[in-house]
Amino acid sequence: MGCFCLKKLGHKPGYEAPINLASETPFTVNEVEALYDLFKKLSSSIIDDGLIHKEEFQLALFKNSNKQNLFADRIFDLFDIKHNGVIEFGEFVRSLSVFHPNAPEADKIAFLFRLYDLRQTGCIEAEELKEMVTALLCENNMSLSEDVVDLIVEKTMMEADTKRDGKIDDEEWKEFVKKNPSIIKIMTLSDLKELTLAFPSFVMNSGVSDLQQPVKN
Amino acid sequence: MENKGKVLMQKYEFGKMLGQGNFAKVYYAKNIKTSQSVAIKVIEKEKVLKVGMIDQTKTEISTMSLVKHPNILELYEVMASKNKIYYVMEYANGGELFNKVAKGKLREDLARKYFQQLISAVDFCHSRGVYHRDLKPENLLLDENGTLKVSDFGLSALGESKHQDGLLHTTCGTPAYVAPEVINRKGYDGAKADIWSCGVILFVLLAGYLPFHDSNLIGMYKKISKADYKFPSWFSPDVTKLLSRILNPNPKSRISTAKIMTNSWFKKGFKLKSSHKTAEKDLPSTDTNVVFGSEANTAAFETKNHKDQLTKLNAFDIISLSSGLDLSGLFTETGEKKEVRFTSMHSASAITSKLEDFAEHLKFKVKKEVGGLLKIEKSSRGQKGALTIYAQIFEVAPSFYLVELRKSSGDTLEYRKMLEQDVRPALEDIVCTWLK
Repeated sequence: MGCFCLKKLGHKPGYEAPINLASETPFTVNEVEALYDLFKKLSSSIIDDGLIHKEEFQLALFKNSNKQNLFADRIFDLFDIKHNGVIEFGEFVRSLSVFHPNAPEADKIAFLFRLYDLRQTGCIEAEELKEMVTALLCENNMSLSEDVVDLIVEKTMMEADTKRDGKIDDEEWKEFVKKNPSIIKIMTLSDLKELTLAFPSFVMNSGVSDLQQPVKN
Repeated sequence: MENKGKVLMQKYEFGKMLGQGNFAKVYYAKNIKTSQSVAIKVIEKEKVLKVGMIDQTKTEISTMSLVKHPNILELYEVMASKNKIYYVMEYANGGELFNKVAKGKLREDLARKYFQQLISAVDFCHSRGVYHRDLKPENLLLDENGTLKVSDFGLSALGESKHQDGLLHTTCGTPAYVAPEVINRKGYDGAKADIWSCGVILFVLLAGYLPFHDSNLIGMYKKISKADYKFPSWFSPDVTKLLSRILNPNPKSRISTAKIMTNSWFKKGFKLKSSHKTAEKDLPSTDTNVVFGSEANTAAFETKNHKDQLTKLNAFDIISLSSGLDLSGLFTETGEKKEVRFTSMHSASAITSKLEDFAEHLKFKVKKEVGGLLKIEKSSRGQKGALTIYAQIFEVAPSFYLVELRKSSGDTLEYRKMLEQDVRPALEDIVCTWLK
């Protein structure tokens, strides 16, 4: 009892044992097993190799494998912790765990900061902010004049960039989020609370020992 | 195995056993963290495997999570270990409805109340393509408020009473609640078969005994096939009229749930509000995971002191509207978004009056709240109670607004249908673009 089969037949490279992933995330072992079911589906939608490729990620998000989107690209890059161009199962679970309703807020704030720091300079520059606003407007065919876009960016920079150096650093970001909590709402996915109902296949092949599951809430 | 006192997954503490069947035992349990009472159905995998019902088990879980309704016992979560499957369900501590009947027949208005709740649940499930196929006394429970809770919807394949011959049997070995076409093992319409069972249940509530009974099974089958039963003298003419349309052996001409719900006997005192008091535990995702603007956090914006001032979006609020940042798509096949948003170059007051016009046209009530927030409520009943929509206007830039519509309560399917058929066309002339 209590022994987990780490090398179950049929697992693709990049697989990690649910018990290990559960121990370092807010997920239970069953929830990680349910996520594996989702992962299998996402990672085999175009190429069945146990890895989520960019096209498969786009297909899942937009129901269209060719749709390019600046923000989806950023999320993909952040999920791809090893920077090898694909999302492995462990990366998928660890990254999604930040979106769990019970995940620490500080993690959510930090994740979003890295996401918006397009060029990974350690700061969100005014130009990056403008680039992102423009991308969003473009994505939705919203035509605003450049002056108006500049005005929106300037106004936000005025509030966020308290050191007045044209960029938002980590510290300023935390302060700004504190005053504007609405901007980290996208970092919480309520879907993650209903995983066992949404992906119930795990019930037949769960590796959890009876009544002894070492799981936190 | 004795489970009492044991803790499941460090989350639920087992109490006494509530019931037992061929595949499963049901226990009372308590969530250690929240103290919430639950019922946990413990299924032995080996037994499920033996009868080859693995695939059904998965489908059933998905089905059960589909049918959230105030009169249906809710499945909260599923857990599993190597040998067992655990269904964590809502606990109805009022016991079985039929314990009440065992003490004698019910008053007509009380029987009607339960029947209304039963039909409301059955109609809701049918609208989602889910059939019970085994409605019977054991499946009708009451919670502490006396609200009816139908159990085992979508669980039919694992139902304790389904024998390998595919025939339905109740635990006492009588098919008393089963429709004639099911007994005859013809391909049957699940909806019409459920309605028949509802009719038998109503009969029992009012009479205190079964409409079809005989000393042997063959005799009972014969009576059911011919709908051979008699009304007791105390049944009112209205109820006998309704029951004869339900207990019609021909499923094709048997009354539908929609028709039952317009029946004058049925409609009497049909208050959805009361049965929906504890209602609408809609998926939290639908209601709480909004990008911005829920009542609770409007204060986070600059509107605190100015009742009519709109919430202004900062650059990051605008960015977070991107569909690329909404990961909920990973979890659904359809890609339907939870909120509907559009931009407009019309003034906020023009947008407001347009929303009011359209709401009035659809006979919805409108209430203005602070910061460009409108509460739009449908007064007539929906399948899950009153439909409430919030519409909020945000300022993106001077003379450029974003309007967000989101459902606060009511049925999701009904809401989506209304959006497509009524809302989108009605607002077309003030909309600049609909957001993706």
